[in-house]
Amino acid sequence: MIDSLNIAWKYIRFNKVKTATLVACITLISFLPMALELILDESEKQLMSRAVSTPLVIGAKGSALDLVMNTLYFDDEVPELITMESAHRVMDSKLAQPIPLYVRFQARRNPIVGTTLDYFDFRNLRIAEGRQLAILGDCVLGARVAESLGLRPGDSLVTSPETLFDLAGVYPLKMKVVGVLTKSHTSDDLSVFVDLKTAWVIQGLGHGHEDVTKLQDPTLVLKRSGKNVAATAKLYQHTEITEKNIDAFHFHGDLSQYPLTAVLAVPRDDKSGTILRGRYLKREQTRQVVRPADVIDGLLQNIFRIKNVLDAVISVVALATILAIILVFALSLRLRQREIQTIFKLGCRRATIVQLMAAEIFIIAIMSAVFCGALIWMVNQFSNDLVRMLFIR
Amino acid sequence: MQVKWFSICDRNRCFFSIFCAVFTVALLASASWAGSNDSGKLTVYVVNYPLQYFAERIGGEHVKVVFPAPADVDPAYWVPDVKTISDYQQADLILLNGAGYARWINKATLPRFRMINTSAGFKGQYIEAPGILTHSHGSEGEHAHESLAFTTWIDFNLAARQAKAIAEALGRKRPELKDAFQKNYQKLKQDLLKLDQDLKTLVSKDPSQPLVVSHPVYDYFARRYGLDIKSVHWEPDEIPTNEQMMELNRILKKHPAKWLIWEGKPMKESAERLQAIGTDSLVFHPCANTPDKGDFLSVMRQNIKNLNPAFKIDF
Repeated sequence: MIDSLNIAWKYIRFNKVKTATLVACITLISFLPMALELILDESEKQLMSRAVSTPLVIGAKGSALDLVMNTLYFDDEVPELITMESAHRVMDSKLAQPIPLYVRFQARRNPIVGTTLDYFDFRNLRIAEGRQLAILGDCVLGARVAESLGLRPGDSLVTSPETLFDLAGVYPLKMKVVGVLTKSHTSDDLSVFVDLKTAWVIQGLGHGHEDVTKLQDPTLVLKRSGKNVAATAKLYQHTEITEKNIDAFHFHGDLSQYPLTAVLAVPRDDKSGTILRGRYLKREQTRQVVRPADVIDGLLQNIFRIKNVLDAVISVVALATILAIILVFALSLRLRQREIQTIFKLGCRRATIVQLMAAEIFIIAIMSAVFCGALIWMVNQFSNDLVRMLFIR
Repeated sequence: MQVKWFSICDRNRCFFSIFCAVFTVALLASASWAGSNDSGKLTVYVVNYPLQYFAERIGGEHVKVVFPAPADVDPAYWVPDVKTISDYQQADLILLNGAGYARWINKATLPRFRMINTSAGFKGQYIEAPGILTHSHGSEGEHAHESLAFTTWIDFNLAARQAKAIAEALGRKRPELKDAFQKNYQKLKQDLLKLDQDLKTLVSKDPSQPLVVSHPVYDYFARRYGLDIKSVHWEPDEIPTNEQMMELNRILKKHPAKWLIWEGKPMKESAERLQAIGTDSLVFHPCANTPDKGDFLSVMRQNIKNLNPAFKIDF
């Protein structure tokens, strides 16, 4: 048997091009369906695990998929905004615990998630280094954001402007990095967390400036009437929140009218969840409540429908390839007729000749399996990122 | 023989070490068990002393109430450091006074749904501080920094409602102790409503009596008990300046008050300067921070006693 393998190996080495072509064909045809399966499994796992662990999402009426993708995976597509009042409404209903989210801004291409401390408890996120958010302007980084940007507690991170050409827009805010989260292998690793109020400061809804009622520089005052002081655009607004200027930061108006992208609602029990969902069914409601698991399941159904088409295409291609390989071997046998005759005349039995051919096929199959295994290993290693790139972010 | 003797000695030492280790582990375990019993208590953080007093009265032995502000500061303007904010974050409940009290809350990250605004039930009755100057800049239009009067608890009826909110919040956290909390709350409510009634009776003797207060912290108090007050901005530990005296004189021309209510005992010179213009001093301590002596109730009883001469009652 070893001799047959040795002779087969010599033959294969001599016919490098033919062997390489055969190995490539077999490798690709085995790798493609397996890789596809792997990626789909990973995407299902990633999408579903987070969706299943998030009971209800409340947002503005519109695309449920945009809402869920933004709320769960911090997708760039910002859904229609709702107000903080929606979170209060859930709280007042006593049916669920609301966790408000404002996912709209970015810092160096990483989403900024404005939320409350309850989010960290809900997702079981722990601080690996530094401390938790404590004051306005603090931010906590997901593990991979900290890694990729090379940031540690004590460093700072500047928010990115929403649009490059919005010259009259809000100044970027320099945030203080106070902590880094432990790795969770979810979208949280790729995000920058801030307090909801800091997110509103980033938007300019909360801001810090000199006390306009005590302005001395006349160029800063546009008009001073009995009860109002109008400041000019020259009025300096702080772009960083420090111990010295934090007192100057303030919010105007009713905070319950401040914007959110969604509210995560964690019902007390199934019954409370059903009652809560029922309250958002009226046609005149401007809010919707969705079960992320249902939305993601719908998305996966579409992905699987595409997968079925791909499977059919791959099956046809695989059949054609197998037929081509059989043809290659048949033609190869015909071309090697004289060689086989010589071996036979040298005294080899027919079984030995079959053994030699089988050894060649075995070696080619083993080589293909090794290559295929290596490729699958690589896909497996990067499937997490690949899925994020393809389906999530 | 020597070797054997050593080996016996080593074995004894070994047994002794194991015994010590087991004993230490047992001790530590019992200590941690005792600790966990202690940590079974609800940890409640508050922003002022009245809330601490109410929570302690209602929660009794089942709660550990923490009010971390130093004794010599006004809790309304105190700003905790990051470590203290972190302690607040760990609390089971954070009791807020509401009405804009303790502004640091708006600039700190706290677990929003463990925070209880004890005055939320009477939001519509908040009193806006007068004389707010609006300002405008950029595209936002005119706006004002909201400023509300926040000393709600010296309207004892409102204080009772704040206490009720505390009892309900504690009951939600520990449903099995709800009845105990309610029972304690009823006792506290009785005490507070007794103070309320006493004050009403006192003021009814001379309801038109004009008064001046040293700080604009008596709005709820004045509204509840129908007091006619005007406010200045004086500190008990500072002698009023000539400008301040002139301002008071201007007020007294239209508002002939015979008494000035101080937050704390005024300096002797301040009282003398006031007496010289025919105005006496009395103390009504709002008790926002932990009192040096007594508790919330005893301070408030003393406050009512202090008011007696102003309403011509001799006890």
